[in-house]
Amino acid sequence: MEHARHVFRVALVLLVVIAAVFLGRGFLVPRSYGTFGPYRADNVAEQMKARPPAHAGAASCTPCHKAKAEARAAGSHKSVSCEVCHAPLLRHVADGKVTGSMPIDKSFTLCARCHRRIQGRPEKFPQVVLEQHVTSKLEGAVCLECHDPHSPKL
Amino acid sequence: MDHPHSPPTPGPSAPPAADAADPGRRDFLGAALTLAGGAAVLLAGAEAAASTEAHVPPPGGDAYNWEEHRWAYVIDTSKCIGCGSCVRGCKAENDVPDGFVRTWVERYIAGPGGSYVDSPKGGLDGFPPVPTAFTPTKAFFVPKMCNHCKETPCVQVCPVGASYRTKDGVVMVDGKSCIGCGYCVQACPYGSRFLNPQTHTAEKCTWCYHRITKGLKPACVEVCPTGTRAFGDMLREDDPVRQTIDHERVSILQAHLLTEPQCFYLHLDMEVR
Repeated sequence: MEHARHVFRVALVLLVVIAAVFLGRGFLVPRSYGTFGPYRADNVAEQMKARPPAHAGAASCTPCHKAKAEARAAGSHKSVSCEVCHAPLLRHVADGKVTGSMPIDKSFTLCARCHRRIQGRPEKFPQVVLEQHVTSKLEGAVCLECHDPHSPKL
Repeated sequence: MDHPHSPPTPGPSAPPAADAADPGRRDFLGAALTLAGGAAVLLAGAEAAASTEAHVPPPGGDAYNWEEHRWAYVIDTSKCIGCGSCVRGCKAENDVPDGFVRTWVERYIAGPGGSYVDSPKGGLDGFPPVPTAFTPTKAFFVPKMCNHCKETPCVQVCPVGASYRTKDGVVMVDGKSCIGCGYCVQACPYGSRFLNPQTHTAEKCTWCYHRITKGLKPACVEVCPTGTRAFGDMLREDDPVRQTIDHERVSILQAHLLTEPQCFYLHLDMEVR
């Protein structure tokens, strides 16, 4: 056995290395890794509750803003959700309580984002050449002088 | 050199003094093979034991079963007016850092004389009129986002298993595992990923996983005023999105790459890449 000692030495070193690898792996590889595939399965549940949903849809505005909501639903902006022009509901209401004021952008640039005539918009979509359509000065809430954004037909 | 118990070995023989302790090459190799085999069996056993624990409950608990859904997305480019509501909605919903977008809108202006493509800030503030050097004969908007491919190049290149595709068909990034190497950003042929400058991890569209698992639509679909964007479940036979994909002429982006995108386009022009 005298001359086989070096074999045992190597075996011992190997054993220590293997043990270190397994120990290190145990510490470094997340617990849920590999449950469903080569990724940390816990992240799926984390993504589900990553943040509260911010947009809640037009129906969520109706209880408090009935008149505006009805005007919108009856007019040609019926497919435009309230949150498109204002902001996500979460900016305004959380857990049924008002937490902040809703932004109201009255500038012509808001209307122009959809209705300014530019290349690319479908031909049948209502759009205007701002400089020709607005005869007064093109600034501020000029569109609202004639149009009601909740029911925009003249 | 006459050993009655061992066959004569060819080539140079070992010095006689070592004989008593020498296990012999054959014995040594045999023992080593046995040991290696044993170790392999042991490791495979551990692996198998881990995977036979398989019937683990789905990650959503009782509220949401990811095996009952397979999400898909349809974009009808002929309806898009380029207002950028989806880009702003996505930013507000997901706190996307300034200068980056998870979904964006591109404008294509084309004619026999040439073509022009733009996407100022991803369409965040809409689009301005542009003068073109040629006479355009067609112009249209194309909303873009992560295609949530079935054969994901981005997941394949991730060295740490931070990118993955869920059973309900959503490609996501685990921000805790991501090391920010950016391989996936380069691997994605659609340019759907970026490195978040604050967290230094890869970020992308999740189809609003925090919304769709609660029965809501992704924010971009929620705010689209023209019905350009639609989101649906391929496992529900009466789902409008599944109906569209099953019955209409749909196309996908960069089909030659065989990534099997799950975003389907209606009325897509060949100019679009």
